[in-house]
Amino acid sequence: MSEYFIEIVNGVKTFLTGMKMTLKHYNNKEELVATLQYPHEKWPIPERNIGFENSEYNLIRSRLHVDIDDCIGCLQCEKVCPVDCITIDTIKPPKGTDVDFGMTSLDTQKKMLVTRFSIDMSECMYCNLCAYPCPEECIYMVGGPNEHKHEIDYEFSQYKRDGLIYEFADPTDAQFAEVGGEAYVESRQSQKQKLVDGENLEGIVEEEKKVVVIEESQESTKKDDDSGLSLKIFNNVDDKPARGVAKKSFQAAKRGAMDYIAMADYINSAIIAAGKSSPEMAAAIELIKNYKDEVVAPSQSEPSPDISTNVILEADDLGATLFDVKSLNGIEDKMSRGIAKKAFIAAKREVLDDNGKIDAIKLALNEAEKMTSEIEVLLSSFVAITINPVESTPGVSLIPDVSLFDIKLLNDIDDKMARGSAKKVYMAGKRGNKLTIEVLADIRNELTGSGMMDDDIDNLIKGIG
Amino acid sequence: MTSIVKSIVGSFESLPIDPFLLAILAILVPGIIIFLIMAVNALIAVYFERKISAFMQDRLGPMEVGIFGFKGGKKFWGGIGQTFADAIKLLSKEDIIPNDADRFLMMMAPFIIFTGAFLTFIGLPMSDSLVISNFNIGIFYIIAMSSVGVIGIILAGWSSNNKWSLYGAMRAAAQMISYEIPIALSLILVVLVSGHLDIHGIVQWQADNRWFILHSPFAALGFVIYFVSVVAETNRTPFDIPEAESELVAGWMTEYSGFRWALFFLSEYANMLIVAFVASIVFLGGWLSPFQMIDLPYIDILPESWLILDGVVFGIFWMFVKAIILIFCMMWFRWTFPRLRVDQLMYVCWKIFIPFALANVILISIWELIRMWIF
Repeated sequence: MSEYFIEIVNGVKTFLTGMKMTLKHYNNKEELVATLQYPHEKWPIPERNIGFENSEYNLIRSRLHVDIDDCIGCLQCEKVCPVDCITIDTIKPPKGTDVDFGMTSLDTQKKMLVTRFSIDMSECMYCNLCAYPCPEECIYMVGGPNEHKHEIDYEFSQYKRDGLIYEFADPTDAQFAEVGGEAYVESRQSQKQKLVDGENLEGIVEEEKKVVVIEESQESTKKDDDSGLSLKIFNNVDDKPARGVAKKSFQAAKRGAMDYIAMADYINSAIIAAGKSSPEMAAAIELIKNYKDEVVAPSQSEPSPDISTNVILEADDLGATLFDVKSLNGIEDKMSRGIAKKAFIAAKREVLDDNGKIDAIKLALNEAEKMTSEIEVLLSSFVAITINPVESTPGVSLIPDVSLFDIKLLNDIDDKMARGSAKKVYMAGKRGNKLTIEVLADIRNELTGSGMMDDDIDNLIKGIG
Repeated sequence: MTSIVKSIVGSFESLPIDPFLLAILAILVPGIIIFLIMAVNALIAVYFERKISAFMQDRLGPMEVGIFGFKGGKKFWGGIGQTFADAIKLLSKEDIIPNDADRFLMMMAPFIIFTGAFLTFIGLPMSDSLVISNFNIGIFYIIAMSSVGVIGIILAGWSSNNKWSLYGAMRAAAQMISYEIPIALSLILVVLVSGHLDIHGIVQWQADNRWFILHSPFAALGFVIYFVSVVAETNRTPFDIPEAESELVAGWMTEYSGFRWALFFLSEYANMLIVAFVASIVFLGGWLSPFQMIDLPYIDILPESWLILDGVVFGIFWMFVKAIILIFCMMWFRWTFPRLRVDQLMYVCWKIFIPFALANVILISIWELIRMWIF
């Protein structure tokens, strides 16, 4: 029983002893703390002592350092290195030139330029053999007895292996020029450029492509310039949308190889359809007409089958390259532009031709009810690119039928579906250069066929007719 | 005696508010308060624990992480943002549940343990009349609720389907149930003497007489038994055999990760705060100022309130001061003593604490009888 109480008393005693001890440590001053906050604080590196009196031997096997100003480029260290971790390049000035490289700290005249002095510390085995033959005592292990020359490198750790290659010589281009090392500088720069190029090899390929494209487009613009007329004549027009419409139709007409009167009419019709006519515009169109009076393109007056086929080919090529997503930037409303572009890309993926693409775009716009006459005109101008040349050979007029009624009239149809299909028929008719009566009949047939015909539309069609 | 719930309901009763909304308000507000207390407590206590352990072992502890660029002083506040970083790390970790585990139970267990700690706070006053809900059997409620966690621990250990977890859970259950007996027996002393189960009654008795720890040698011994037992009850070193790292990996927490593990952690530190609060309420005068008991000669010269520092707000202050001192002691134990063996643990409980606590109850009753007979 007494053992039981003795145990308890002992327990309490040791309990208190332990508590006292930890509290003593808790109150310890900072000097007694064992932790060393490593990146902020560092232990001193212990001096090496191998027992010799000679302090030279007590060096610390730390990092090699070179005082490059003292280096005379004698290559002794490079030769003696057992693991070949030292690489030195030098350039001697050509005979006759008088270049002063200065003196070393041991009063030796330097005779050449050390262009490269690299030591790969990942290969170095710290034998210190390079330090002994150096006549200028400029290569040495840092720290220890050499502490006064270069302080010790605590840890020369690197994230990449390349970081362990220490470059000591860094001559400037001026120094190179002095010793006649321009060729060296050039080769060095080209090497650097190759490295940069190698890093983004894909970029180079893209650039080359771009250059080709630019050349092509330059050629095509040259061709345009040869014909004498340019888009600049519309620059007097202040109204931007109107200018856009005019320019688009101008280009379309040009690609369609129209004569200038036809071109003027075509542009005029487009402007009227967009409701953008203005005195400036009229003046510009007049200019185009006059232009024709002054310079008559002889090839146009004597159409021959060869030339026309050439025209077709050219136009086809141009159309293929030039009707792209950027062509749709003429659409001003952001929403409808987005829809049109989406439809374009989708159509492109299905490998449709330009007509197919335009139809797809129109369909998409109709569905979203974003179709406006401006867009119609814009799109139909692209249709002209590919279709008109084909039709130009038999000599059919390229001018859209001015007598065809305005598509806006169809906006009075209340039913969205009916309006959409009516407009589709209208556009098809317009493309086929049909007359108003024909188009109206088509619309009537289409709507009756799909059961969307009602009295209002009937009246409307009659009214248009 | 008012409570937070009652005052919320009472202050909005006159306003035309839907009683249903009022009930939600009366539930939400105290709930959020408790959760905030638990979270902030865990954040601060973990940091203190790391720092205190470091200083007791002549280290520095966390020194690198600051808050918004503020890194604090050289020594104690050096890594003030560490626990915030840890909390973010914990919350962003993957919630891993083993294939063979009992998914439902394993997911439930942390919440049961958390609920145990959470519910205890309801009956625990922070200061005079600053209690979420006032019970007339407050001390009984707290003892009852603090043992709810055992169910969660057993569920966690069983559902993990891991032998370490199961061993840990079984040890925890054995330990916690054993140590509840000396805890209850030492809390009975104050109930015997003051005649109250109600916490406000107990503190009022101490205000009228003196702190209970100074009542008699038996009360002081009761405090020691209580305090050592609650260290075991909260599974802290030297009684941390349920999660003994060197034997059981992490005991019943072995298979848990991320948020669920954070809940264990949160409830562990909340339990520390709870037992420290109960100890200060029952033995150290609760929210009473320590200056009240000392008969200072110059108390008449200075305004009384300067030295007494009483009232609801200072009550909170004193409660936390006492609790923090006790928590410091628990940390001090942890970093001083080596872990007990299972048999030693049971020996301390059943052969030392329980006989002494029982004797204590009898002796304090006799002490009270003699006092009544003399005076």
